[in-house]
Amino acid sequence: MSAKTNAHQVISVSVQGVVTPPRMPPLPAMPYSLAADGSPFLLPAYGSIVYNVSVGDSAYGWLADCVHPSVSVKVDDATGNRGLNVLACVGNTAIVMTGNAQRARGVVTGKTGRFSEHVIIHFEQEVREQLAIGDKIVIKAKGVGMSFDDHPDIMLKGCSPELVEALEATTDSAGKLSVPVVAAAPPHLLGAGAGLVSDGGSIHIQTADRGALQEAGLDQLRLGDVVALTDYDSSWNHGYLRNAVGIGVVAQGDSPRAGYGPGVTLIMTSASGNIAPLVTPGVNLKDLLL
Amino acid sequence: MGLATNADKLVEMAVVGYVSQPSVRGYIPHATGEATILPGMSGFIYGVRVGDSAFDYAADHLEPGASIAHPDLDADYAMHYLTCMGNQAFLMSGLAQGTEGIVTGEHARLLVDFPPEAADLIGVGDAVQIRALGQGLQLVDYPHITLKKCSPKLIESLPIEAVDERTIRVPVTMELPVRIMGSGAELNPDFVDQDLMSGDRALMAELGIDQMRLGDLVVVNHADHRYGRGYKPGAVTIGLCIHGDSIMTGHGPGILTLMTCAEPCIQWVIDPDANIANYLNIRKES
Repeated sequence: MSAKTNAHQVISVSVQGVVTPPRMPPLPAMPYSLAADGSPFLLPAYGSIVYNVSVGDSAYGWLADCVHPSVSVKVDDATGNRGLNVLACVGNTAIVMTGNAQRARGVVTGKTGRFSEHVIIHFEQEVREQLAIGDKIVIKAKGVGMSFDDHPDIMLKGCSPELVEALEATTDSAGKLSVPVVAAAPPHLLGAGAGLVSDGGSIHIQTADRGALQEAGLDQLRLGDVVALTDYDSSWNHGYLRNAVGIGVVAQGDSPRAGYGPGVTLIMTSASGNIAPLVTPGVNLKDLLL
Repeated sequence: MGLATNADKLVEMAVVGYVSQPSVRGYIPHATGEATILPGMSGFIYGVRVGDSAFDYAADHLEPGASIAHPDLDADYAMHYLTCMGNQAFLMSGLAQGTEGIVTGEHARLLVDFPPEAADLIGVGDAVQIRALGQGLQLVDYPHITLKKCSPKLIESLPIEAVDERTIRVPVTMELPVRIMGSGAELNPDFVDQDLMSGDRALMAELGIDQMRLGDLVVVNHADHRYGRGYKPGAVTIGLCIHGDSIMTGHGPGILTLMTCAEPCIQWVIDPDANIANYLNIRKES
């Protein structure tokens, strides 16, 4: 059983988004983005319904820029979308309200940051076949406000009670919260997302230098993997702080762009370093939640 | 004598912006959790210029001098992309019309230094026209070194040394570890700066980063800023401190990319006077 929380006090509230169309930058930039080496590329980017990429698949090797597995939702109104992006928590239940897939259920598996600001929801492939761009999806948001009874120095963010339970995080002999992760990302490999909001959004693991990636044990990541962020404090934005520790889930795939790579959605952080990541192979949302 | 450039081939073009009204974000949480309201962004800041401390003011993202912007987004982008550090700027309206200034930074707005005697006469909304010159500038004997937002005037003023046929050496006040480079990682270096992350206050003191001044040249080793901003072992980036510190996590003084190379072909020498206030004679008594 996982460390105790105040989940019984946390309210469950409806937030709704619609399945987003994919977007491209406007003229005159053309549809091309620039890779870290300066070469222009044209690949599918974030958003929409992705039929053939799911949580549990590799975060690498797809011909895509920060692919969102399964389905992405958003609302056009900026403050409404902020509500959606902040209140939706990884592990929350989503229900399709309109269209051919009405009543189908999915699970929130991630959130993305500046320039996309989507919530990513896993639906089984047969549900994806029935979904349309524009379909309304309600998320039973629950998790914001949750904290650990015995670890007041750890903040939970974007994390559902179900995910906390499933992680089976326990207090170790030193009094720290021991959280299983597949790997830990060092601060020099954390890029886009630094200085940006940590209650939603994402922080990206940089992948332009494959040697450094391999050295950190991050070259085999799968979508949905639970990872640690080393020397990073995400209490009020993401930023460098020695000994601080964050925990997140790999929500988006790799990117050719400088400063980008798999996008991580934060689920907990301790500025004082009271999270002890325990490297454990295979800690993935597919097994924890789906 | 300076290194050879293609400055004689550049086109000089006018762009215009307007002195902005200050913006305030409301309460900002410190890394430690308490929240504060601070000035710093936009507007005209009296009495703080390049050469002054980047850390010692009760401000957030302090933008020295006049912060100018254009209300039309496309025109604003053109102003951002075309303007280079060291470009001449002129007040075109208001009580200080005709006063000459100099571009010292690019944040969400462009930052222009004007002589202190003009300060009382500068109004919000005054037009500032910049003679934009520098996009396309190259060191012709070092084509593998990319210049960003450098005016010919700035490059000619810097004591850059030719080390060998591949390598140059540039004076900087300090080196910043790549692991503390933060907000702005999601943007490209042709559009605004990247903040160093000052949240580890003890580290700032240990490394002397808290001695940084606005206008300082600094180096970030292992940072490749040619196309975006990323970690690359051996790459070198030379930056310019353009705005002051921040209490926001992941933020801090703003470092604008001036030079970058994917290989270790930019060496540096520590010089406490490596500040554009000195190189461009910005604070000389008029």
